[in-house]
Amino acid sequence: MTQTTTPTYYTRRIVYYVKELWRRREFIWFLAMGNFKARNASTALGLFWWVLNPVLLSLVYWFVFGLIFPGNRDIIYLMSGMFVFHFTAQSLTGGANAILQNSKLLTNLKFPRLILPMANLIEALVGFTVSLGVLLVFSLVLRGFIPGASVLLLLAAVPLHVLFNLGLASMAARLAVPFRDINNFMPYFTRIWLYLSPIIWPLSFLESENASSFARFAEFNPMFSLISVYRAALIPLAEDGVVIGPTPFDPAMLGQFAVWAVVVGFVGIGLFVRFEGKIARHL
Amino acid sequence: MSRASIVVEDLYVRFRPYIERKPTLRRSLGRQRTHEEVVALDHVSFAVNRGEAFGVIGKNGAGKSTLLRCVAGTLRPNGGKAVVHGKTSTLLQLGVGFIPELTGRRNIYLGGLAAGMRKHDIEERFDEIVEYAELEDAIDRPMKTYSSGMFSRLAFSVAMNLDPEVLLLDEILAVGDASFQEKSMQAMRNLLDRAGTILFVSHSLGSVEEFCDRAIWLDRGVVAAEGTASNVVDQYRKSVTQQRP
Repeated sequence: MTQTTTPTYYTRRIVYYVKELWRRREFIWFLAMGNFKARNASTALGLFWWVLNPVLLSLVYWFVFGLIFPGNRDIIYLMSGMFVFHFTAQSLTGGANAILQNSKLLTNLKFPRLILPMANLIEALVGFTVSLGVLLVFSLVLRGFIPGASVLLLLAAVPLHVLFNLGLASMAARLAVPFRDINNFMPYFTRIWLYLSPIIWPLSFLESENASSFARFAEFNPMFSLISVYRAALIPLAEDGVVIGPTPFDPAMLGQFAVWAVVVGFVGIGLFVRFEGKIARHL
Repeated sequence: MSRASIVVEDLYVRFRPYIERKPTLRRSLGRQRTHEEVVALDHVSFAVNRGEAFGVIGKNGAGKSTLLRCVAGTLRPNGGKAVVHGKTSTLLQLGVGFIPELTGRRNIYLGGLAAGMRKHDIEERFDEIVEYAELEDAIDRPMKTYSSGMFSRLAFSVAMNLDPEVLLLDEILAVGDASFQEKSMQAMRNLLDRAGTILFVSHSLGSVEEFCDRAIWLDRGVVAAEGTASNVVDQYRKSVTQQRP
């Protein structure tokens, strides 16, 4: 085993990089679970927060936009969008922090740096999986709905979602390491993205008279196509709390998001890997 | 395979830290931030043979840690190269990869995996690591409840159980009580007997003199002296006493 450190970096060799990531898969998993346990170690409710967090978040928005300013009373619709969005938002903010908070690891040990945003993503993915379970329970209890074979859509949606999130997290990390300002900016970015996505407003809003010119572009938001695929997979179409049937699936939406996922995923990862040799200089 | 286990050739590292100056109106209007170039390593070359303990001494800021980082491969130099033959274990800082909220048990896994071990290797050596660190009773307690001695014993134990052929070590033997220091010295001698290599950065001239075969003295990024450990330590001592008449 010989290791040479020169001004040019080994990561130019993609195959080697991927192999190295695979070899370190146990580390990625332990790091993800370790961070997760550490986060919950000093709270009384511990693991239960994984379920509680997304539910509380949905209830807050439901309270504000369902009851105070009635726009959308369908809590299942709101939860489904919120959980999907929350996974992406978590990967995005956590990915940028993953590098900055693990500076000790980075200055001491050599490993593919992509491991850090990946571990963060896996931690968020486990939470997301739990929240999808919560969604199914709510939709069974409140609507008496059990999805059929449409859940198989998750087999396409989840991997694409993960690829998309990893790309975003990598881009955020790539930018936030030299420009820490990005981290301060992040909450505002995720907030505006949340409002631009079909989560707190119903789809019918786009056809209403109130819809501004924004409505014409709403579909190009990757969250729009992604959330619509998840909804087709999991939740019923309901009007005033009465189930009409399963949410119809639009293959064009899946195709559209697939393009987003592949482009954002590979561009983001590529930018990050090209940059990672310089990370140590910014810590 | 050649006898050399670490080869550092013409290594050159510079940093451009941001300099804070009193802001004047003109400077804050101008878009350029002030940088000042600092050369951390200025064309450093040396080679360490297998079975050899090699010391690096010098004042704070002489470039010792930068040198170790380049050899460990975590910092890319601006010029030259560092080549290491063999499985490397680094102890540049204590407890790298540990999460204080978690138990010692989980941290052994985390630290080992971070350093490149496989899970089943760690499982096999688990008892050995715990026993060596003298932590049998405390292993299921969160590490934040450990004393600094316990913390460093565990870190050292994990690093030595990687079975390294090359050990990069920074200034950490000063922690732990006398008996553990003796134990860690013994572990490092065993490594040398197995034809392992140790690169040892320290401020403790005594331990460099006692433990290392050869050494270099780094002064502001330049190799000021190279040779047998006692010789280099002597030269360094002289220069320090000369500065303080």
